[in-house]
Amino acid sequence: MNQTSGRTLVDSRGSSCPGPITDLAIAYRRSKVGDVIELWATDPGVKADVNAWAAKTGNEIVSVDEAGGKITVIIRITKR
Amino acid sequence: MKRTLIVGGGSGGTILANSLDRHEFEITMLSSSFGHLFQPALLYVAFSHARARFVRDERSLLARHVNLLHDEVTSINLKNKTVATKSGVLFPYDYLVVATGMHTDTSQIPGLSETNAEFGDYHSSLAKAERLSYHLDGFRGGTIAIGQSSPIIKCPPSPLEGVLLTDQLLRKRGLREISRLIYFTPYPRPYSAEPMNEVVEPLLEERGIEVMTFFDVERIDPANKTIFSIEGDKIEYDLPIIIPPFVGANITYEPSDAVDEDHFVIADKSTLRIKGAEDAFVVGDASNLPTSKAGVGAHLQAKVVAQLLSGHPATFDGRTSCPFDTGDGRGTFVIGSYDAPVIKARPTRIKHLMKTAFQRIYWISLRGTLNPVFDVYFKLTAPKKAAAASD
Repeated sequence: MNQTSGRTLVDSRGSSCPGPITDLAIAYRRSKVGDVIELWATDPGVKADVNAWAAKTGNEIVSVDEAGGKITVIIRITKR
Repeated sequence: MKRTLIVGGGSGGTILANSLDRHEFEITMLSSSFGHLFQPALLYVAFSHARARFVRDERSLLARHVNLLHDEVTSINLKNKTVATKSGVLFPYDYLVVATGMHTDTSQIPGLSETNAEFGDYHSSLAKAERLSYHLDGFRGGTIAIGQSSPIIKCPPSPLEGVLLTDQLLRKRGLREISRLIYFTPYPRPYSAEPMNEVVEPLLEERGIEVMTFFDVERIDPANKTIFSIEGDKIEYDLPIIIPPFVGANITYEPSDAVDEDHFVIADKSTLRIKGAEDAFVVGDASNLPTSKAGVGAHLQAKVVAQLLSGHPATFDGRTSCPFDTGDGRGTFVIGSYDAPVIKARPTRIKHLMKTAFQRIYWISLRGTLNPVFDVYFKLTAPKKAAAASD
């Protein structure tokens, strides 16, 4: 986990379910409103899990991109 | 002789020490405690009144040529290849293996320290497990809230084992009809990995266990007996069974970026080499590897490091095989690896017997004498990349 002034990079590539959502939950615990979390993953299950997580927590998914097997999810923390 | 320093005397450190050739390695193990606890027993101490000899002297588990020293490591300098201890001794090494495990940290969550001191838990220590057992004995009906308070967990099936054994206990004592059992988890589903969840979720439903997902504990209000989550939910309880957060050993590293925010050692997931170090490795729960924190991982990683130190090529594939007691005399295993998702494995009586049998052979397994048997087991149960049902 790499954190620079309000932006946290969470690299969960190579980690299968539930690695990415575990890493996201840890980053969320350390975040504050206004922060941005960028999650990298290779496990396709991450998309459904992050959608469910955002719906539950009320946070905003800014974008989901997939290229070359890498899934990048940008999340803005709007609720803590 | 290669001066090999092993920091920590749990299952990973012990198996590694016993696996190295005494003619090739001068092995020193530094351990802050000589009491070696069979950690999976805490579940049964808490929920089944298990009272056997679950702690043995580390010396009795090690080969004679291993030099065991009682001291607490305070800092590790990966650049100078030295380890400093609380008593002021500086140990130089040719090879270092960190096997310091992880421990519970109740201070991370407001209200957890006092709740834990009163009710105990089944991950911290024998004393805490006995405390929880005492409260379960005194329970006469009401609401039991049980779950993990943070995503990092020792033995991923253990939160569900706890709730299923609680259900079994309450049924046995005729209290189930007058009790609510609430299972909370920070994950999107009861078992984090979907294939195993397909096995577990129906079990919970069948047994009337309520589930609260995305429940990441933020604070506990012991006065009002309420647990609050970061996601905005709350649970009121009569008896809380809360698995505390875990952290790595409080050791200062040089360079400091060899550990993460929770003091877990950052390492290559295949070679287990500590970040930035050629001659330093990590095994077991002490690492931040993207695999389950469980005894089987420590065992397999210790074997990989023993091979590498001896000059033989070896890699760790992230293999897990965590025993999972689902109650009523049945059990299963959570099996997966870095490249193969967890497989769907239904509970059976035979798998439960295998878990029970392992408790009896644990101490012998630390010696490495059963490695051929384990090798066959791991080969036969190897997960395939394309997940398939396995019973």
